[in-house]
Amino acid sequence: MRIGVFVCQCGTNIAATVATRRVVEAALSMRDVFHGESIQYTCSDPGQRAIIDAIQQKNLTRVVLAACSPRMHETTFRRAIAQAGMNPFMLEMVNIREQCSWIHSDIDTATEKAIDLVRKGVARVRRQTPLHAGSVPVTRRALVIGGGVAGIQAALDIADAGVPVTLVEKSPTLGGNMARLDKTFPTLDCSSCILTPRMVEVKQHENIDLMVSSEIENVRGYIGNFEVDIRRKATCVIEEKCTGCMICEQKCPSRAPDDFNAGVGESKAISVAFPQAVPLVAALRKEYCRLFLKGRCSVCKKVCPAGAIDYEQEDRFVTERFGAIVAATGFEQFDWKKAYPSFGGGLYPDVITSLEYERMLSASGPTGGHIRRPSDGAEPKHIVFISCVGSRDESVGRPACCGVGCMYQAKQAILTKEHIPDSQSYVFYLDVRAGGKGYEEFVRRATREFGTIYVRGRVGKVYPRNGKLICMGTDTLAGHQVEVEADLVVLAAGLNAAGAAAGLARKLNISYDMYGFFSEGHPKLKPVETNTGGVFLAGACQGPKDIPASVAQAGAAAAKVVSLLSRAELETSPMVAEVNQMKCTGCFKCREVCPYGAIEEQELRGGRRVAHVIGSLCQGCGLCNVACPPAVIPLKGYTDNQLIAEVVEVLREPEPASSAGASAKAVEVAE
Amino acid sequence: MTELVTKIQEVLNEADVVLGWVHSAAAGAAVPAWFHNAVEAEAAVFDSTCVHNLAVHLPRLQDRTAGIVAKGCDIRSVVQLISEGQVRRDRVRIISVPCPGVVDVKKVWRCFGYGKKLIDAGGQVEMEGKTAPREEILLWKCRGCRDTAPLISDVVVGDPAGVAPPSPAERTGLRERFDAMTPAERRRFWQEQFSRCIRCNACREACPLCFCRDVCTMQTREPHWTGGQINAREAEMAQHIRINHLAGRCTGCEECERACPVGIPLMLLLEEQNRAVEKLFGYRAGTDPEAKPPLLVFDIDNDTWDSER
Repeated sequence: MRIGVFVCQCGTNIAATVATRRVVEAALSMRDVFHGESIQYTCSDPGQRAIIDAIQQKNLTRVVLAACSPRMHETTFRRAIAQAGMNPFMLEMVNIREQCSWIHSDIDTATEKAIDLVRKGVARVRRQTPLHAGSVPVTRRALVIGGGVAGIQAALDIADAGVPVTLVEKSPTLGGNMARLDKTFPTLDCSSCILTPRMVEVKQHENIDLMVSSEIENVRGYIGNFEVDIRRKATCVIEEKCTGCMICEQKCPSRAPDDFNAGVGESKAISVAFPQAVPLVAALRKEYCRLFLKGRCSVCKKVCPAGAIDYEQEDRFVTERFGAIVAATGFEQFDWKKAYPSFGGGLYPDVITSLEYERMLSASGPTGGHIRRPSDGAEPKHIVFISCVGSRDESVGRPACCGVGCMYQAKQAILTKEHIPDSQSYVFYLDVRAGGKGYEEFVRRATREFGTIYVRGRVGKVYPRNGKLICMGTDTLAGHQVEVEADLVVLAAGLNAAGAAAGLARKLNISYDMYGFFSEGHPKLKPVETNTGGVFLAGACQGPKDIPASVAQAGAAAAKVVSLLSRAELETSPMVAEVNQMKCTGCFKCREVCPYGAIEEQELRGGRRVAHVIGSLCQGCGLCNVACPPAVIPLKGYTDNQLIAEVVEVLREPEPASSAGASAKAVEVAE
Repeated sequence: MTELVTKIQEVLNEADVVLGWVHSAAAGAAVPAWFHNAVEAEAAVFDSTCVHNLAVHLPRLQDRTAGIVAKGCDIRSVVQLISEGQVRRDRVRIISVPCPGVVDVKKVWRCFGYGKKLIDAGGQVEMEGKTAPREEILLWKCRGCRDTAPLISDVVVGDPAGVAPPSPAERTGLRERFDAMTPAERRRFWQEQFSRCIRCNACREACPLCFCRDVCTMQTREPHWTGGQINAREAEMAQHIRINHLAGRCTGCEECERACPVGIPLMLLLEEQNRAVEKLFGYRAGTDPEAKPPLLVFDIDNDTWDSER
């Protein structure tokens, strides 16, 4: 066994804190190390060349690379050593940058730690065996979850590339939150005017299979080969027959909250979400329907001219295979009521959220585009917008910025003035964050052309007095208390991921943060990927985003999907679990814990039943490895003995430095 | 011919072997026996010296139909083995015997010395003229036994409802001392205990749930979790592996402690762990053949562990 140790200086990233030459010297005294070298930039072309030369000249059989995180460059170096004729998996990356040089300042300590880490890597690579990657076929079909603007864009882009797409939306119509908006900043173009053509396009696209009123029930499989169970929820309306005439909605005697209108106004138990809904079909909500609650009604069935009502309908399940999944489940507004008793906690009807206000502004909304106070229907003259309610507020445990509040408040202030010319809007703000193209100018317009008064400071309390709402706050620029008498208070409530996001994340096996937003693979370099291969993110499900950003991310996700599905086969990782069937006791604890269903039962000659890993399903997570009592289901490349050897090396007392070993072998430092 | 013998002989009509006990004059107590035919079965006995958990033999009898004479607690081990796929329910015939508690051999020796036959008469036990209150020489696990009624069985000998479980005992003696120890004192206590370990692996061999046997990580080189040296450090590491592997699986049969030739009180560790499992997950191993052991289930909505902290 001949091991080569290469220590990267990474310019000064590593060399400034770790004496790489000393690390090389120490490495040369380690067992089986025949070559040591410190290289300025290992990942550079000459750096890789040096590795290849050393492997070939010194007949190295294993390589330890002390450099950055394997997530950065492991593939690079695997390729390099494969070029030199070695098995690409006979490589061990030792992270002396992120986990050593960057986090330490003392050279001696950092160098000592780097040597320990290298020793660990050498111990581990000594027990490495050659591994060989396999391949699996790819299902050329994509799943997009969520029919908001991001999901629509992703589905269209993928479908336009000729890849079949299934778009699953949980509500009865496409559109998502964007369909609820009246106008969009900073151009004030009508939201539904720009969105509905795209919704129609989805419906008509030959490559898109649209499933509304549907949810993801279960996800199995892995990149290239997901198997997804989709629940088609019973709406009691036969989608193919319904013409969207809305007679049922007009005649329905059962009142129900209006989900589409953010709870402003009322709807019926059977209804069409909004006039431009796609598909334009009604849906019945059993929980509000008189027939299902009291057993007598069926008015809608009598009046439906298309015979589209079917009360017997039940949830159906379809199972489809996909090669890639795009999650585009969007956001919902934070429920401010519990966190802000100082704003009445929902007690005052005239304290509303910005999304509720948006529905009031919309011509297709419940008030027909007229701004009305919910309490008495009067037209408000003084409107107070409070920003950062449940965002940038650590007192309620929500430090994040909602990202869009400043902009839509400026928009709503402008629209308010257009609707009610003699009105006065006030915006209480912390900072105005208007970073996008044309955004700052837009906010200026709100103040200069539309006379919106911006007050810098938080509102501490809102309380009613003589039919008005008194907003008590601080003007931190003037340094005094202010009180504004408002007819209507609009809260820019912070954003959360849509309610079902966490459950979906578990099904997709991706992670999410405290607001439920899905975690991207890398904040800079993998903004649309996740840590689960083949699962991509689009839009506000990943974090607060405005429309342009959502659309851009959806396009990026679509490009990733198309590139993935353009391949006929995918290489699989050889770092999977493998059962030593001679020693397997057949207790199948591995099967219990395997999240990928990768473990099956096999009968050996003589009838002994043992476990077997289906290599193409195994993701190498190592759970079975831990659960196996006799530890006979090692994860290739991460065997117990490799890990034990690492731990033993790290815990070993440092031996007195012997220069004999080092001087016997030549130290080459490329500088 | 006792009822037990008749029942064993009946079971032997369909089973290849029945595991039970015979009296051994040399041991002065019952010893395990494998009955292959009706003649052998005539020697079968059941008394308060039938301490052994015969379920330990079942996993290696998978290719045969085996009968087993089992106390309530032994049946829990059988149930656990069934739930772990080590025993096929259709290949085992359980002959349940009513058990009023079995004796702790070490306590017997302490009370009476090595002797002849132990005579169990109601509340008193006597041997060679000396007597002692019965409850005082029972195994710790028998005090306050919750398993007198057989959980599952094919053949019932006697009336299981006819035996009253021994009354629960206070934690006295070693257990009381152990409970009072600080973590540092416990550390020293275990170091001292394991310094006596000779790595004979009798604990593992006697344990019905240590069915990995020769591939057990307590002794393998692949993976090499513990070395083979006989010292307190390696011994303790090996034992902790075994005990951890029994989390949520141990039925508390005390066989490991009974088998230990140097008298390491292993049950102190296992009892602690079993209590924790029962408290955290409401789970007692070997009480439901369909149940999934809690440590093999990932239930994201179960926050018992969080609230415990």
